[in-house]
Amino acid sequence: MLSVEGLSVRYGAVEALDGVSFEAAGGAITAVLGANGAGKTTLLRALSGLVRPRAGTADLDGTPLVGRPPEAIARLGVAHVPEGRGVIVELTVDENLRLGTLARLPRGDRRPAIEEVYRLFPPLDGRRHRHASTLSGGERQMLAIGRALVSKPKVLLLDEPSLGLAPAVTAQLMATLVDLSRRRDLCVVLVEQNARSALSVAQWAVVINLGRVVLADQPERLASDDQLRHHYLGF
Amino acid sequence: MGLFVNVLLNGVTDGTIFAAVALALVLIHRATGVVNFAQGAMGMLTTFVAFSLLTAGVGYWGAFVVALAAGFVLGALVERVLIRPLEGKPPLNPVIVTIGLLVVLEGVAGSIWGNTSRGFPAAFSQSGIRFGHDTVAFSHFDVFILVAVLALMVGLLGLFRWTDLGLRMRAAAFAPVVARLLGVRVGRTFSLGWAMAATVGALAALLAAPLSSFSPYYMDLYLVYGFTAAVLGGLDSPVGALVGGLVTGVSTSFVGGYLGSSLEPLGSLALLLVVLMIRPQGLFATTAARRV
Amino acid sequence: MAGQPLVRHLVLALAAAAGFYLLTSVLSPYDNFQVGEIAAYAVALAGLSVLTGVNGQISLGHGALMAVGAYSFGLLMTHTQLNLMVELLAAVGLTTVLGIAVGIPSARLAGPYLAGVTLMLALGLPLLADQYSSTFGGDQGLTITPPAAPGSLDPERWLAWIQIAAALVTIVLLANLLRSRFGRAFRAVRDDEVAAELAGIHVGRTKVLAFAVSAACAGLAGALLVLSTGIVNTGEFPLSLSIDLLAGMVLGGAGSLMGVWWGAVALVYLPQWSTSVAGSLSLGNGVSAYLATVVFGLILIVVMLVAPSGLQGLLRWTGGRLLSTLRWVPASVTALEVRQPANQEKDQESQEKDQESQESQESQESQESQESQESQDKQDRTERSEA
Repeated sequence: MLSVEGLSVRYGAVEALDGVSFEAAGGAITAVLGANGAGKTTLLRALSGLVRPRAGTADLDGTPLVGRPPEAIARLGVAHVPEGRGVIVELTVDENLRLGTLARLPRGDRRPAIEEVYRLFPPLDGRRHRHASTLSGGERQMLAIGRALVSKPKVLLLDEPSLGLAPAVTAQLMATLVDLSRRRDLCVVLVEQNARSALSVAQWAVVINLGRVVLADQPERLASDDQLRHHYLGF
Repeated sequence: MGLFVNVLLNGVTDGTIFAAVALALVLIHRATGVVNFAQGAMGMLTTFVAFSLLTAGVGYWGAFVVALAAGFVLGALVERVLIRPLEGKPPLNPVIVTIGLLVVLEGVAGSIWGNTSRGFPAAFSQSGIRFGHDTVAFSHFDVFILVAVLALMVGLLGLFRWTDLGLRMRAAAFAPVVARLLGVRVGRTFSLGWAMAATVGALAALLAAPLSSFSPYYMDLYLVYGFTAAVLGGLDSPVGALVGGLVTGVSTSFVGGYLGSSLEPLGSLALLLVVLMIRPQGLFATTAARRV
Repeated sequence: MAGQPLVRHLVLALAAAAGFYLLTSVLSPYDNFQVGEIAAYAVALAGLSVLTGVNGQISLGHGALMAVGAYSFGLLMTHTQLNLMVELLAAVGLTTVLGIAVGIPSARLAGPYLAGVTLMLALGLPLLADQYSSTFGGDQGLTITPPAAPGSLDPERWLAWIQIAAALVTIVLLANLLRSRFGRAFRAVRDDEVAAELAGIHVGRTKVLAFAVSAACAGLAGALLVLSTGIVNTGEFPLSLSIDLLAGMVLGGAGSLMGVWWGAVALVYLPQWSTSVAGSLSLGNGVSAYLATVVFGLILIVVMLVAPSGLQGLLRWTGGRLLSTLRWVPASVTALEVRQPANQEKDQESQEKDQESQESQESQESQESQESQESQDKQDRTERSEA
């Protein structure tokens, strides 16, 4: 569904991404792993349009993404949940979700989609009209993902969703992601530093080091190669 | 007693106009982080357009609507042409541009309509309303001022709170990057924000015109009072703009009534300095402003 | 090592002094009068340039501050028999006190508060003079007799020398200030108030100091103008003067002490030029009066959009481009070309554009370019760590 070819991003004199290529299938979770500073966040930013690559392409079912502004890419069905979640704290939970529906859903479908998210994440249901600033870290993560899902995207880009979350919450989140990706034929690109939890749910793993793809393989094979694991993933 | 009441009423009327100017400043500052020093001059220009229409024989309400529409267009134009190119540059730069725009607009108005002061007709009678034997310093026109500004504020409040467009605009103002990721055309909402603010400013200028000597510079003082009002209320709070406007209006009116009208701007300055010393973030600040 | 920049500044100042001396000996008395005016405006612009270019605050009231200096000086000359220097310093002192009084409340929050407060000052102070017209001379203002020139020297030349000397002394002092830890504090506050606070800089005090310094310069400039014109009245210091000053400063290059001369020349000659243009196009009396200010307004808009570092910046950029083909030229930043902090999203294109448009500043030595290189490295590192 998502094919990336030769993506390169430069910040000033620094080559943050250098010729990154990989495929991410629909209905599956593709984990993007690597050390801090490897280029994972830059990759997601390039895919959602926040950063313009100096070379390379990224296609969603054949539709080119590179060169479009972020709002256009979002309207095509790419939902990016950035590092730090991007929950708008000055708005209520319901307003955050409603915001997510505006770009892609016709008016009649919006409220049902929001209700679906409340069913998926019950803690949010109890806090509909509270300001997002009153939510805990885990709840904010749910809100951010819920807001991304409410637009019925084709691609979900998640940047370190487990950051700052308790292990139990992370596990629950991952389980939800697996379920969602299957049910909705959603292409999930999961960037994680916590490689272990990511590998446990992913169907494909891409390892990035210093802006380059050093490995793209099935998670089981990656997990079984001790040297590889230790070198790039730290466990 | 008579003086006190009249000074108070004048203060309320003036304060309502200050509130409208303050609201325009707050809208733009909330949306794009810029203080639009040209706000008064932009309103002045659209009011002069109305003036030309009035002299050409167009009815008051026709000229009124045209002036507001012209304000809307002018606001969007200024944002798109002068402010948008400075995105990403230091925040000083657009402020400097609005200062330049201020004098350019005054010069343009002066060259088209001349620099002399003149009178501007009011929509309603400007003579004081009679209550029994007394006449109060409050006219039908003053009532109109209150009604117009309050109606506008309620309308804007409703727009922001209940409509999808308002939600998009708030999101773009609070978190432009996240808003873009959600498909909001942030650039367009900024233009719209400026357009709406300029419309409010156009209304304020139209209401102020009959009250002062109508020349290209007549909005300078209103800008300054509007700024005081906005700061008083908290540069990000529309409700604060209203309260700030009334407080500024009443206090400057008292300074003018009891100490002399030339001291009014300095009175407003003193008020501003006191507010900045005691509660710099204003009375209704919604965002946490950092104290230094 | 610490004494080297001071020596350099003194040498440059002496060279400039010699140049001015030669200039004034060949010019007519009226031209000398104008050269003196230019020097006086240069003093005001130098202070403003430090305030805006180096410390990042905007003042719309420097015309009013010049008026304060002018009126103080005028009143002292009229009512006392003090030494000229003492009177000048007193005028400077009074203006500085006002600057501090206004600067303190305005410095409490990050934001455009100083601009608004000074705008009110510019509109309100002249009215004060009107209200108390007996002290301030009302519409007519005050008239003073300029100090007599020694011997058979042209009075205009003599006064011009005083004004030029004052300008050069001020610029040397400011240049040294910018080199000192105060200058570094100014820049740190301009670039990132939060970071500066964390680094131990008292942001409020720094902002007040910068404004006080600029107010002192404005007061001096106002007093110097009175010296050669012999009159003070509120008509000389309208709101448009404050905006003209801002434009002159921006034109020369915010933060550039060399650039102030461009702005000062514009301030003296633009009004004359616009009057003759208005006359030749028969635009009528009203137009010429504000045509100059409209041009200044256009300067503000155009410079900001096209060349934010002003003329001095353009010169450095062209010079830098030429030199960079020969050797590495240290790049640095002025207030109006500062990169946004790394946590703001920016697309790659505009980042590259920022890199290209960075220009070096007048008071730059290797010391400063090192500092900015360090902060650039820090930014690059932060950006990299986000990846």
